[in-house]
Amino acid sequence: MTRSPRTAAQLDARALARAKREALRRRARRIRRAVAGLTMTLFAMAFLVVYAQLASGHDPALVANARKRAAGASAESTAAASSTSSATGTSTSAGESTSASESTGASESTSTGESGESSSGAAAVTTSQS
Amino acid sequence: MSAEREAIEEFDCFGSRCAALVIGPGQAGTAHEAAALIRRTLLAWHERFSRFQAGSELSRLNRDPRETVPVSPLMARFAQAVREAGTLSGGLVDGTLVGELERAGYAGDLREPLALTAALALAPARKPAAAAAAGRWRQLEVDLEAGTITRPPGLMLDGGGLAKGLFADLLGEALATHAGFAVNCAGDLLVGGAKQIARAIKVESPFDGRTLHTFELSRTGVATSGIGRRSWRGRDGAPAHHLLDPSSGRPAFTGVVQVTALAPSALAAEIYAKAALLSGPQAAHRWLAHGGVIVYDDGSHEVVTPAPVVTLEQLYATSSRSAARPNAALSCSVSSAAGSGRAIT
Repeated sequence: MTRSPRTAAQLDARALARAKREALRRRARRIRRAVAGLTMTLFAMAFLVVYAQLASGHDPALVANARKRAAGASAESTAAASSTSSATGTSTSAGESTSASESTGASESTSTGESGESSSGAAAVTTSQS
Repeated sequence: MSAEREAIEEFDCFGSRCAALVIGPGQAGTAHEAAALIRRTLLAWHERFSRFQAGSELSRLNRDPRETVPVSPLMARFAQAVREAGTLSGGLVDGTLVGELERAGYAGDLREPLALTAALALAPARKPAAAAAAGRWRQLEVDLEAGTITRPPGLMLDGGGLAKGLFADLLGEALATHAGFAVNCAGDLLVGGAKQIARAIKVESPFDGRTLHTFELSRTGVATSGIGRRSWRGRDGAPAHHLLDPSSGRPAFTGVVQVTALAPSALAAEIYAKAALLSGPQAAHRWLAHGGVIVYDDGSHEVVTPAPVVTLEQLYATSSRSAARPNAALSCSVSSAAGSGRAIT
């Protein structure tokens, strides 16, 4: 049995169908790429938000812990302060190099020793191995 | 604007020098009252946390034969800090190596410290320290609510640097409402205050005492850990110091002699400084995410600057600008991270 030659109308219909299939494939590809791109962007942004927050020292878990500690600490330091305030004379006379006298000259904390005050705002501090 | 006067108290404590610097009135009274309060409190805490005084709370705890011991809230908080240090450092910073310290020769006040250069000349081959396989700090359990510490009898805690870092943080909380303050607990310090006043923080060389670097910061924890000051010669003539390798229980000579670490709290800075020193030159940087200074045993030093932090506002602004270009935010942050680095001096 021989195939009859296709008419122009039939050829048009096949070409049209092929074009439609191609268009559908292109659209699917575009949607897939958009979804993948969007997902990656959203993930990267969420990651960066969390990273920036933790790196800047604002870890919510640590903050909660610090608050809890702060509450305990103020109670503790208040108690310690009241228990030691009566012993100030003892510690001064026990040979610690503290002084009750007050220096009024401008000074750096690292060079003065004893007690005093700085007239120029925040004095420098030195950190060295203990 | 006229600068407010700063009250300063400097005194001997923890076998070293401590200082309290306070600007302006606040919760703890006037600046002078607040500085005096810090001095009194630190001196009292030193008495309680000294390993060398038989009657101190720490010595009594270390001797207590009970498994669960009721302790003061401050001691419970300190024991928790020992656990935190072990956890954060992966066991490198171990506050339970008291027996090892005493066997190494640190059983009392050190009379004649060994000079750093002499100790380095006599020291064995350098190698990074490592965590002990079964860190005893893991056996420490703390109940802050009940105020108890549970541990196998015989497990002892060492006040050391962890206590100093903790004390700086606790006292800093009491000074938070003052305009500015610095609490220096023998090298571990907390700087802060309500007015965010910048303060110069100088890092001293362990070799000759000169200033290696100066940070200008208004709010930070800082700690310096090193092998230069508390060094001595052991019975075998070998050099020894107080920073032990947990895996061997012997003083660690890693190639790093001093580390200054910055961190949000003094306790965290103390942990990072010790961990960095024990990790050795290759791995020290990874503990200094907030910045710091590393001093090597050849006398050179390196200033580590923290990676630039992207604020949430900057991040949101970048995201909204780049809505049409989804990859822009990512490339921006990558280039920012690539720009970070260390300044070697």
